[in-house]
Amino acid sequence: MSGAEIARPVASPIAATGLGRWGWAAASLVLLLALGGLVRYLDTNVAKWFPDVNWLKSVEFPIYAILVGLIAGAILGVLGLRERLKVAFRTEFLIKTGLVLLGASINLAVIARAAGPAILQSVILISSVFLISWWVGGLLGIDMKVRALLSAAVSICGVSAAIAAAGAVSARREQLAYVTSLVIIFALPSIFIQPWLAQTLQLSPVVAGAWIGGNIDTTAAVTAAGTIVGDDALKIAAIVKSTQNAMMGIVAVLLTAYFVFRVERVEGARVGLGALWQRFPKFILGFLAASAVATLFINAAADPKAAGDIVAVAGTNLRVWFFILAFVCIGIEFRPAALREAGARPVAVFAIASVANLVLALILATLLFSGFSLA
Amino acid sequence: MVQPTPAEAAAPPIETASRRAINEDWLATIVGLVLIALVLAGVIGKGLVP
Repeated sequence: MSGAEIARPVASPIAATGLGRWGWAAASLVLLLALGGLVRYLDTNVAKWFPDVNWLKSVEFPIYAILVGLIAGAILGVLGLRERLKVAFRTEFLIKTGLVLLGASINLAVIARAAGPAILQSVILISSVFLISWWVGGLLGIDMKVRALLSAAVSICGVSAAIAAAGAVSARREQLAYVTSLVIIFALPSIFIQPWLAQTLQLSPVVAGAWIGGNIDTTAAVTAAGTIVGDDALKIAAIVKSTQNAMMGIVAVLLTAYFVFRVERVEGARVGLGALWQRFPKFILGFLAASAVATLFINAAADPKAAGDIVAVAGTNLRVWFFILAFVCIGIEFRPAALREAGARPVAVFAIASVANLVLALILATLLFSGFSLA
Repeated sequence: MVQPTPAEAAAPPIETASRRAINEDWLATIVGLVLIALVLAGVIGKGLVP
Protein backbone atom coordinates (compact mmCIF):
# COMPACT_ATOMS: atom_id res chain seq x y z
CA MET A 1 0.00 0.00 0.00
CA SER A 2 1.36 3.34 -0.91
CA GLY A 3 1.91 6.13 1.51
CA ALA A 4 0.05 8.63 -0.56
CA GLU A 5 -3.00 6.43 -0.58
CA ILE A 6 -3.05 6.45 3.17
CA ALA A 7 -2.00 10.05 3.34
CA ARG A 8 -4.83 11.33 1.20
CA PRO A 9 -7.93 9.32 1.90
CA VAL A 10 -10.92 10.87 0.20
CA ALA A 11 -14.57 10.16 0.02
CA SER A 12 -15.09 8.16 -3.16
CA PRO A 13 -14.56 10.56 -6.05
CA ILE A 14 -15.88 7.92 -8.42
CA ALA A 15 -19.46 8.64 -7.57
CA ALA A 16 -18.97 12.21 -8.78
CA THR A 17 -17.91 11.16 -12.25
CA GLY A 18 -19.45 9.39 -15.18
CA LEU A 19 -16.81 6.68 -15.62
CA GLY A 20 -17.88 4.50 -12.74
CA ARG A 21 -15.72 2.42 -10.41
CA TRP A 22 -14.44 -0.06 -13.01
CA GLY A 23 -14.00 2.64 -15.64
CA TRP A 24 -11.60 4.60 -13.43
CA ALA A 25 -9.83 1.42 -12.39
CA ALA A 26 -9.32 0.42 -16.04
CA ALA A 27 -8.18 3.94 -16.98
CA SER A 28 -5.75 3.92 -14.07
CA LEU A 29 -4.26 0.57 -15.10
CA VAL A 30 -3.97 1.59 -18.75
CA LEU A 31 -2.26 4.84 -17.72
CA LEU A 32 0.22 3.02 -15.48
CA LEU A 33 1.07 0.45 -18.16
CA ALA A 34 1.45 3.22 -20.76
CA LEU A 35 3.83 5.10 -18.46
CA GLY A 36 5.74 1.86 -17.86
CA GLY A 37 6.00 1.34 -21.62
CA LEU A 38 7.28 4.89 -22.01
CA VAL A 39 9.96 4.24 -19.37
CA ARG A 40 11.05 1.06 -21.16
CA TYR A 41 11.22 3.00 -24.44
CA LEU A 42 13.28 5.80 -22.89
CA ASP A 43 15.59 3.33 -21.15
CA THR A 44 16.28 1.58 -24.45
CA ASN A 45 16.62 4.64 -26.68
CA VAL A 46 17.77 7.82 -24.89
CA ALA A 47 21.44 6.80 -24.83
CA LYS A 48 21.19 5.95 -28.56
CA TRP A 49 19.72 9.35 -29.37
CA PHE A 50 22.69 11.10 -27.75
CA PRO A 51 25.70 8.84 -28.45
CA ASP A 52 28.17 11.57 -27.51
CA VAL A 53 26.76 12.06 -24.00
CA ASN A 54 28.58 9.34 -22.08
CA TRP A 55 26.85 9.73 -18.71
CA LEU A 56 23.48 8.90 -20.29
CA LYS A 57 24.71 5.33 -20.82
CA SER A 58 24.85 4.82 -17.07
CA VAL A 59 21.34 6.18 -16.40
CA GLU A 60 19.28 3.20 -15.18
CA PHE A 61 15.55 2.63 -15.57
CA PRO A 62 14.61 3.68 -11.98
CA ILE A 63 15.66 7.25 -12.84
CA TYR A 64 13.52 7.37 -16.00
CA ALA A 65 10.65 5.73 -14.10
CA ILE A 66 10.71 8.22 -11.23
CA LEU A 67 11.05 11.20 -13.58
CA VAL A 68 8.16 9.97 -15.73
CA GLY A 69 6.14 9.41 -12.54
CA LEU A 70 6.95 12.90 -11.20
CA ILE A 71 5.87 14.54 -14.47
CA ALA A 72 2.73 12.38 -14.71
CA GLY A 73 1.89 13.13 -11.07
CA ALA A 74 2.29 16.87 -11.64
CA ILE A 75 0.05 16.75 -14.73
CA LEU A 76 -2.56 14.64 -12.95
CA GLY A 77 -2.43 17.09 -10.03
CA VAL A 78 -3.03 20.07 -12.33
CA LEU A 79 -5.90 18.26 -14.05
CA GLY A 80 -7.37 17.24 -10.68
CA LEU A 81 -7.24 13.56 -11.68
CA ARG A 82 -4.61 12.25 -9.26
CA GLU A 83 -7.11 10.91 -6.71
CA ARG A 84 -9.49 9.50 -9.30
CA LEU A 85 -6.77 7.62 -11.15
CA LYS A 86 -4.87 6.25 -8.16
CA VAL A 87 -6.54 2.81 -8.07
CA ALA A 88 -3.69 1.05 -9.92
CA PHE A 89 -0.89 3.02 -8.25
CA ARG A 90 -0.05 0.23 -5.78
CA THR A 91 3.61 0.89 -5.05
CA GLU A 92 3.88 -1.62 -2.21
CA PHE A 93 2.10 -4.43 -4.04
CA LEU A 94 4.17 -3.91 -7.18
CA ILE A 95 7.48 -3.72 -5.33
CA LYS A 96 6.72 -6.76 -3.18
CA THR A 97 5.73 -8.82 -6.24
CA GLY A 98 8.98 -7.65 -7.86
CA LEU A 99 10.92 -8.74 -4.78
CA VAL A 100 9.31 -12.19 -4.82
CA LEU A 101 10.42 -12.45 -8.47
CA LEU A 102 13.89 -11.20 -7.51
CA GLY A 103 14.09 -14.11 -5.06
CA ALA A 104 14.22 -16.43 -8.08
CA SER A 105 17.49 -14.86 -9.19
CA ILE A 106 19.25 -15.36 -5.82
CA ASN A 107 20.69 -18.74 -4.90
CA LEU A 108 19.25 -19.99 -1.60
CA ALA A 109 22.78 -20.60 -0.30
CA VAL A 110 23.59 -16.89 -0.71
CA ILE A 111 20.50 -15.93 1.31
CA ALA A 112 21.49 -18.43 4.01
CA ARG A 113 25.04 -17.05 4.19
CA ALA A 114 23.87 -13.43 4.24
CA ALA A 115 21.21 -14.05 6.88
CA GLY A 116 23.66 -13.93 9.83
CA PRO A 117 25.21 -10.51 9.14
CA ALA A 118 21.87 -9.18 7.89
CA ILE A 119 20.11 -10.12 11.13
CA LEU A 120 22.93 -8.70 13.27
CA GLN A 121 22.95 -5.45 11.29
CA SER A 122 19.15 -5.17 11.49
CA VAL A 123 18.97 -5.76 15.25
CA ILE A 124 21.65 -3.15 16.01
CA LEU A 125 20.30 -0.62 13.49
CA ILE A 126 16.63 -0.94 14.37
CA SER A 127 17.17 -0.69 18.12
CA SER A 128 19.68 2.19 17.88
CA VAL A 129 17.81 4.29 15.33
CA PHE A 130 14.44 3.64 16.98
CA LEU A 131 15.76 4.84 20.35
CA ILE A 132 17.52 7.88 18.85
CA SER A 133 14.34 8.89 17.02
CA TRP A 134 12.21 8.26 20.14
CA TRP A 135 14.60 10.32 22.29
CA VAL A 136 14.84 13.26 19.84
CA GLY A 137 11.05 13.19 19.42
CA GLY A 138 10.70 13.42 23.21
CA LEU A 139 13.13 16.35 23.36
CA LEU A 140 11.07 18.20 20.73
CA GLY A 141 7.77 17.47 22.49
CA ILE A 142 6.26 15.24 19.78
CA ASP A 143 3.09 13.31 20.65
CA MET A 144 3.86 9.77 21.93
CA LYS A 145 1.94 8.02 19.15
CA VAL A 146 3.54 10.11 16.42
CA ARG A 147 6.94 9.39 17.99
CA ALA A 148 6.17 5.67 17.80
CA LEU A 149 5.17 5.96 14.12
CA LEU A 150 8.17 8.12 13.22
CA SER A 151 10.62 5.85 15.05
CA ALA A 152 9.22 2.67 13.49
CA ALA A 153 9.21 4.22 10.02
CA VAL A 154 12.75 5.56 10.14
CA SER A 155 14.28 2.50 11.81
CA ILE A 156 12.53 -0.40 10.07
CA CYS A 157 10.88 -0.10 6.70
CA GLY A 158 9.05 3.16 6.14
CA VAL A 159 5.37 3.08 5.28
CA SER A 160 4.77 -0.60 6.18
CA ALA A 161 6.37 -0.13 9.60
CA ALA A 162 4.41 3.07 10.20
CA ILE A 163 1.19 1.19 9.38
CA ALA A 164 2.15 -1.66 11.73
CA ALA A 165 3.09 0.82 14.48
CA ALA A 166 -0.14 2.76 13.93
CA GLY A 167 -2.10 -0.43 14.52
CA ALA A 168 0.02 -1.25 17.58
CA VAL A 169 -0.46 2.11 19.30
CA SER A 170 -3.96 2.86 17.94
CA ALA A 171 -2.81 5.98 16.14
CA ARG A 172 -5.24 8.18 14.25
CA ARG A 173 -5.43 8.17 10.47
CA GLU A 174 -4.04 11.69 10.07
CA GLN A 175 -1.07 10.87 12.32
CA LEU A 176 -0.24 8.00 9.98
CA ALA A 177 -0.79 10.32 7.01
CA TYR A 178 1.82 12.82 8.29
CA VAL A 179 4.40 10.12 8.88
CA THR A 180 3.87 8.28 5.59
CA SER A 181 4.17 11.57 3.72
CA LEU A 182 7.47 12.25 5.50
CA VAL A 183 8.73 8.78 4.62
CA ILE A 184 8.04 9.32 0.92
CA ILE A 185 9.53 12.82 0.91
CA PHE A 186 12.77 11.56 2.47
CA ALA A 187 12.92 8.38 0.39
CA LEU A 188 12.91 10.05 -3.01
CA PRO A 189 16.20 12.00 -2.75
CA SER A 190 17.91 9.08 -1.00
CA ILE A 191 17.31 6.95 -4.11
CA PHE A 192 19.76 9.19 -5.97
CA ILE A 193 22.03 10.44 -3.16
CA GLN A 194 23.00 7.11 -1.63
CA PRO A 195 24.17 5.38 -4.86
CA TRP A 196 26.19 8.53 -5.58
CA LEU A 197 27.69 8.46 -2.06
CA ALA A 198 28.47 4.75 -2.42
CA GLN A 199 30.31 5.48 -5.64
CA THR A 200 32.12 8.47 -4.12
CA LEU A 201 33.21 6.38 -1.12
CA GLN A 202 34.24 3.59 -3.54
CA LEU A 203 32.24 0.97 -1.66
CA SER A 204 32.10 -2.54 -3.06
CA PRO A 205 28.69 -3.51 -4.53
CA VAL A 206 28.02 -5.82 -1.57
CA VAL A 207 28.80 -3.19 1.09
CA ALA A 208 26.87 -0.55 -0.89
CA GLY A 209 23.88 -2.92 -1.05
CA ALA A 210 24.03 -3.63 2.69
CA TRP A 211 24.29 0.11 3.38
CA ILE A 212 21.34 0.95 1.14
CA GLY A 213 19.25 -1.91 2.55
CA GLY A 214 20.06 -0.86 6.10
CA ASN A 215 19.51 2.84 5.70
CA ILE A 216 16.78 3.74 3.21
CA ASP A 217 13.36 3.41 4.80
CA THR A 218 10.96 2.20 2.15
CA THR A 219 11.46 -1.12 0.42
CA ALA A 220 10.62 0.48 -2.93
CA ALA A 221 13.30 3.15 -2.53
CA VAL A 222 15.84 0.52 -1.41
CA THR A 223 15.09 -1.43 -4.56
CA ALA A 224 15.44 1.64 -6.77
CA ALA A 225 18.75 2.71 -5.18
CA GLY A 226 20.09 -0.85 -5.27
CA THR A 227 19.18 -1.16 -8.95
CA ILE A 228 21.07 2.05 -9.72
CA VAL A 229 24.23 0.67 -8.06
CA GLY A 230 23.94 -2.71 -9.81
CA ASP A 231 22.59 -6.25 -9.66
CA ASP A 232 24.87 -7.49 -6.86
CA ALA A 233 24.10 -4.47 -4.71
CA LEU A 234 20.38 -4.99 -5.35
CA LYS A 235 20.51 -8.61 -4.20
CA ILE A 236 22.24 -7.79 -0.90
CA ALA A 237 20.04 -4.72 -0.38
CA ALA A 238 16.94 -6.89 -0.86
CA ILE A 239 18.17 -9.51 1.63
CA VAL A 240 19.06 -6.86 4.25
CA LYS A 241 15.78 -4.98 3.77
CA SER A 242 13.75 -8.19 3.90
CA THR A 243 15.45 -9.03 7.19
CA GLN A 244 14.48 -5.61 8.57
CA ASN A 245 10.94 -6.12 7.28
CA ALA A 246 10.76 -9.45 9.10
CA MET A 247 11.53 -7.71 12.39
CA MET A 248 8.57 -5.38 12.00
CA GLY A 249 6.33 -7.85 13.86
CA ILE A 250 8.61 -7.92 16.90
CA VAL A 251 8.71 -4.11 17.11
CA ALA A 252 4.92 -3.92 16.66
CA VAL A 253 4.37 -6.36 19.53
CA LEU A 254 6.82 -4.49 21.79
CA LEU A 255 5.12 -1.19 20.94
CA THR A 256 1.69 -2.65 21.64
CA ALA A 257 2.88 -3.94 25.00
CA TYR A 258 4.53 -0.61 25.89
CA PHE A 259 1.43 1.44 25.07
CA VAL A 260 -1.00 -0.98 26.71
CA PHE A 261 0.97 -1.46 29.92
CA ARG A 262 2.98 1.76 30.35
CA VAL A 263 1.30 4.61 28.44
CA GLU A 264 -2.40 3.81 28.56
CA ARG A 265 -2.22 1.36 31.51
CA VAL A 266 -5.14 -0.80 30.34
CA GLU A 267 -6.41 -2.99 33.20
CA GLY A 268 -6.23 -6.74 32.55
CA ALA A 269 -4.96 -6.31 28.98
CA ARG A 270 -2.99 -9.08 27.24
CA VAL A 271 -0.73 -8.91 24.23
CA GLY A 272 -0.74 -12.22 22.37
CA LEU A 273 2.10 -13.62 20.31
CA GLY A 274 -0.39 -14.04 17.46
CA ALA A 275 0.31 -10.39 16.70
CA LEU A 276 3.84 -11.42 15.67
CA TRP A 277 2.48 -13.54 12.84
CA GLN A 278 -0.17 -10.97 12.01
CA ARG A 279 2.51 -8.28 11.52
CA PHE A 280 4.99 -10.52 9.73
CA PRO A 281 5.43 -9.32 6.11
CA LYS A 282 4.29 -12.41 4.23
CA PHE A 283 5.96 -11.50 0.95
CA ILE A 284 9.28 -12.52 2.55
CA LEU A 285 7.99 -16.11 2.52
CA GLY A 286 7.39 -15.68 -1.21
CA PHE A 287 10.92 -14.28 -1.66
CA LEU A 288 12.42 -17.33 0.11
CA ALA A 289 10.12 -19.79 -1.69
CA ALA A 290 11.06 -18.26 -5.07
CA SER A 291 14.75 -18.61 -4.27
CA ALA A 292 14.30 -22.24 -3.13
CA VAL A 293 12.24 -23.21 -6.20
CA ALA A 294 14.64 -21.56 -8.65
CA THR A 295 17.71 -23.05 -6.91
CA LEU A 296 16.17 -26.54 -7.05
CA PHE A 297 15.12 -26.02 -10.69
CA ILE A 298 18.65 -25.05 -11.74
CA ASN A 299 20.40 -27.70 -9.63
CA ALA A 300 18.15 -30.48 -10.94
CA ALA A 301 18.45 -29.45 -14.61
CA ALA A 302 20.63 -31.40 -17.08
CA ASP A 303 21.74 -28.05 -18.50
CA PRO A 304 22.01 -25.59 -15.59
CA LYS A 305 22.86 -22.68 -17.91
CA ALA A 306 19.70 -23.18 -19.98
CA ALA A 307 17.70 -23.55 -16.74
CA GLY A 308 19.27 -20.32 -15.47
CA ASP A 309 18.15 -18.55 -18.66
CA ILE A 310 14.57 -19.75 -18.09
CA VAL A 311 14.65 -18.57 -14.45
CA ALA A 312 15.98 -15.19 -15.59
CA VAL A 313 12.71 -14.54 -17.44
CA ALA A 314 11.02 -14.34 -14.02
CA GLY A 315 13.96 -13.18 -11.89
CA THR A 316 15.04 -10.41 -14.26
CA ASN A 317 12.70 -9.66 -17.19
CA LEU A 318 9.36 -9.81 -15.34
CA ARG A 319 10.86 -8.36 -12.16
CA VAL A 320 12.11 -5.28 -14.03
CA TRP A 321 8.57 -4.62 -15.26
CA PHE A 322 7.14 -4.72 -11.76
CA PHE A 323 9.93 -2.45 -10.53
CA ILE A 324 9.36 0.02 -13.39
CA LEU A 325 5.65 0.27 -12.53
CA ALA A 326 6.43 0.65 -8.81
CA PHE A 327 8.99 3.41 -9.43
CA VAL A 328 6.54 5.26 -11.67
CA CYS A 329 4.08 5.11 -8.75
CA ILE A 330 6.73 6.56 -6.40
CA GLY A 331 7.06 9.56 -8.71
CA ILE A 332 3.31 10.00 -9.09
CA GLU A 333 2.70 9.92 -5.34
CA PHE A 334 5.43 12.43 -4.45
CA ARG A 335 3.82 15.45 -2.78
CA PRO A 336 6.30 18.08 -1.51
CA ALA A 337 3.40 19.97 0.11
CA ALA A 338 3.26 17.21 2.73
CA LEU A 339 6.41 18.64 4.34
CA ARG A 340 4.61 21.90 5.08
CA GLU A 341 1.57 20.05 6.38
CA ALA A 342 3.66 17.87 8.71
CA GLY A 343 5.28 20.85 10.47
CA ALA A 344 8.90 21.50 11.40
CA ARG A 345 9.37 19.31 14.47
CA PRO A 346 8.48 15.89 12.98
CA VAL A 347 10.61 16.80 9.95
CA ALA A 348 13.53 17.61 12.29
CA VAL A 349 13.11 14.29 14.14
CA PHE A 350 12.99 12.38 10.89
CA ALA A 351 16.03 14.22 9.50
CA ILE A 352 18.17 13.69 12.62
CA ALA A 353 17.23 10.01 12.85
CA SER A 354 17.90 9.57 9.11
CA VAL A 355 21.43 11.00 9.45
CA ALA A 356 22.10 8.72 12.45
CA ASN A 357 20.76 5.80 10.41
CA LEU A 358 22.98 6.71 7.45
CA VAL A 359 26.17 6.79 9.53
CA LEU A 360 25.41 3.70 11.64
CA ALA A 361 24.34 1.68 8.60
CA LEU A 362 27.58 2.56 6.80
CA ILE A 363 29.70 1.44 9.77
CA LEU A 364 27.76 -1.81 10.18
CA ALA A 365 27.66 -2.60 6.45
CA THR A 366 31.44 -2.11 6.24
CA LEU A 367 32.12 -4.24 9.33
CA LEU A 368 29.70 -7.05 8.53
CA PHE A 369 29.76 -7.31 4.73
CA SER A 370 33.30 -6.35 3.67
CA GLY A 371 34.40 -9.98 3.24
CA PHE A 372 31.08 -11.25 1.85
CA SER A 373 31.03 -12.80 -1.61
CA LEU A 374 28.00 -13.50 -3.79
CA ALA A 375 29.84 -16.25 -5.68
CA MET B 1 0.27 17.86 15.11
CA VAL B 2 1.11 17.58 18.78
CA GLN B 3 -2.30 18.87 19.85
CA PRO B 4 -5.01 17.17 17.79
CA THR B 5 -8.23 18.99 17.07
CA PRO B 6 -11.43 17.51 18.55
CA ALA B 7 -12.33 16.19 15.12
CA GLU B 8 -8.94 14.51 14.81
CA ALA B 9 -9.19 13.08 18.29
CA ALA B 10 -12.54 11.57 17.41
CA ALA B 11 -11.24 9.94 14.23
CA PRO B 12 -11.03 6.13 14.30
CA PRO B 13 -7.65 4.44 14.78
CA ILE B 14 -5.96 2.68 11.90
CA GLU B 15 -7.53 -0.70 11.29
CA THR B 16 -8.31 -1.04 7.62
CA ALA B 17 -4.95 0.28 6.45
CA SER B 18 -2.97 -2.42 8.25
CA ARG B 19 -5.39 -5.13 7.12
CA ARG B 20 -4.97 -3.99 3.50
CA ALA B 21 -1.18 -4.02 3.83
CA ILE B 22 -1.32 -7.60 5.09
CA ASN B 23 -3.58 -8.63 2.21
CA GLU B 24 -1.26 -6.97 -0.30
CA ASP B 25 1.60 -9.01 1.15
CA TRP B 26 -0.22 -12.27 0.44
CA LEU B 27 -1.37 -11.05 -2.97
CA ALA B 28 2.21 -10.10 -3.95
CA THR B 29 3.43 -13.52 -2.77
CA ILE B 30 0.79 -15.40 -4.74
CA VAL B 31 1.18 -13.32 -7.93
CA GLY B 32 4.99 -13.58 -7.79
CA LEU B 33 5.02 -17.35 -7.23
CA VAL B 34 2.36 -17.99 -9.90
CA LEU B 35 4.40 -15.99 -12.41
CA ILE B 36 7.53 -17.99 -11.53
CA ALA B 37 5.58 -21.25 -11.91
CA LEU B 38 4.31 -20.14 -15.33
CA VAL B 39 7.85 -19.22 -16.41
CA LEU B 40 9.32 -22.53 -15.21
CA ALA B 41 6.47 -24.42 -16.91
CA GLY B 42 7.31 -22.67 -20.18
CA VAL B 43 3.96 -20.85 -20.43
CA ILE B 44 5.67 -17.45 -20.21
CA GLY B 45 8.74 -17.40 -22.43
CA LYS B 46 11.32 -14.69 -23.00
CA GLY B 47 9.50 -13.54 -26.14
CA LEU B 48 6.37 -12.73 -24.14
CA VAL B 49 8.12 -10.20 -21.90
CA PRO B 50 9.04 -7.04 -23.84
